[in-house]
Amino acid sequence: MQVLLNGSIDGLAIATLALAWNVVYLPTRVFHIAVAGIYTLAPYLLWTCLHNHIALPIAVVLACSTGGILSLACEAANHWRLERRGAEASAHLVASLGLYIVLSGITALSWGTETRVLRPEVDRVIHIQSMVLTQGQITSITVSLAVISVFVTWLKFSNNGLRFRALAENPVEFALRGFNVRGMRLLAFALSGTITAVCGLVGANYNGFDLNGGLSILLLAVVASTIGGRLSFSGAAWGGLLLGIVRAGTVWFLGARWQEAVTFTLLMVFLLFMPNGLLGRDKRLEAAP
Amino acid sequence: MNYELHLLVYFAIYVIVALSLNIVVGYCGLITLSHASYFAIGAYACSLAMLKLHWAFFPATLLGVSISAVLSLALSIPSWRFKGDQFVLVSLVVQVVILSLLNNWTNPRFEFGTLQNLTNGSFGIVGIPRPSLFGTTLDTIPSMAILAVTLMLGCGLLAFLLKASPWGRLLKCIRDDELAARGLGKNVRMAKVQALAIACGMAAVAGALYATYVGYIDPSAAGIDQSILMLCYVIVGGVGNFRGPIVGVFVLLAIPEALRFAHVPDASAANLQLIAYGALLITLMHVRPQGLAGEYRIR
Repeated sequence: MQVLLNGSIDGLAIATLALAWNVVYLPTRVFHIAVAGIYTLAPYLLWTCLHNHIALPIAVVLACSTGGILSLACEAANHWRLERRGAEASAHLVASLGLYIVLSGITALSWGTETRVLRPEVDRVIHIQSMVLTQGQITSITVSLAVISVFVTWLKFSNNGLRFRALAENPVEFALRGFNVRGMRLLAFALSGTITAVCGLVGANYNGFDLNGGLSILLLAVVASTIGGRLSFSGAAWGGLLLGIVRAGTVWFLGARWQEAVTFTLLMVFLLFMPNGLLGRDKRLEAAP
Repeated sequence: MNYELHLLVYFAIYVIVALSLNIVVGYCGLITLSHASYFAIGAYACSLAMLKLHWAFFPATLLGVSISAVLSLALSIPSWRFKGDQFVLVSLVVQVVILSLLNNWTNPRFEFGTLQNLTNGSFGIVGIPRPSLFGTTLDTIPSMAILAVTLMLGCGLLAFLLKASPWGRLLKCIRDDELAARGLGKNVRMAKVQALAIACGMAAVAGALYATYVGYIDPSAAGIDQSILMLCYVIVGGVGNFRGPIVGVFVLLAIPEALRFAHVPDASAANLQLIAYGALLITLMHVRPQGLAGEYRIR
């Protein structure tokens, strides 16, 4: 049970980040690697705020809004301009890789490369029957569930959510019907950056943080998104949960050192035999966006 | 003088890597993040053959090239079906699996180099001997520079001849319009298998040269950051022709040297170098998607 619990908690964290990545990928088809840089940067910002005696809620808001603004800047200064010039997926991917490298470099230059923690004290532990939960895990579950619930509610029940789904479903038709594509793209990037920053803070609170954490967890999020179904918001969440449980099971049965190999082999299996993922829909070739 | 020759050895190693990656990115139009893995396979295979089997440098390198070429099937078979960001994901799978094997094919109870402890895990392999040619050990930097430049010229000649051949034109045709190539009756799948085998084999040559020059190799050589760096070489210089990758390596190796001459402290220089690489990638995608001296525009 403990393995299942740990896997579900990690899975929820991956699912939230997968959602953040999908928020940009689905409506724009941009492989937004730069969010890995935002994931890395957010905890450093929070750490600096806390060391300058800024209250925790204000520090969290500052770190998350900086994430949103940075992601917005990626769209305004980079991806939108590339889009207007008719650039395709590879150019966006390379430019986003460049943004990630720049963000990582700036973070390393400003804060150094050593691993840090947000809370120096030892985590409190809660026993529920035979299972053990730490304070960091409880925060992680609460925040991940809250973010996913708020996002799903917004997506299902608001006008903007409906437009967002329409853009993700068919960007060309959305533009032809006269909707504001530019505005929705900006919204997508801002949402993605903010959710990523939240994930970065939760992860740092749980495990500590360093410079290399962003890219590795983003890759897990992309795997989760592919497993769950790349053309579906809910697929990313379910894929994350499944991946978390598989990774926890791998630690239990094979050892932590085989986690990455098993994760990416699972991705290969899905790419080869189920490329639409668990919740993806089969589409006719000519209907693909 | 030794420092300049040391730079020349690194230049030669990375030119081989860039020319090989150019075959995948520039001629096949596939972006891969697993090239460092093949570089590391070449380095490990050559090191193990030299240390444990006491093979000479060239047969050991040939072993690395053969293993890399065979393992390139892990990339080339999926390339029949996947393109764009899906192929990037496939290459990530290959990179992670090879890195995991290099890290985990170890067992401290057994001697290093045995089947149970082949790679020595994260400790890596130390004490890799320098190459010997005709009974002379190349234990000075000038002699290694001569070997490195000779191998670079050999690989360069191979890359140039391939590019100029009908086979090179077939690859460009596949890159630009795969359906048309198939329609003309060309064996697209075999061409991709051949291209990736040659590219991964060339990366293995660079890996073998690197391992014998530095005398040490560990799994970090197969890391994703190394693959990203290799991709930077070809994208900055440009792909799809012969001179682009060479220009890319020259520019990206010149940046740390420029920072050194500007007396930037070492701790900041590494990060400033990263920022410069990233900024170059972004700027080029906007201003010159074909790179500084390339031919094929990244779309």
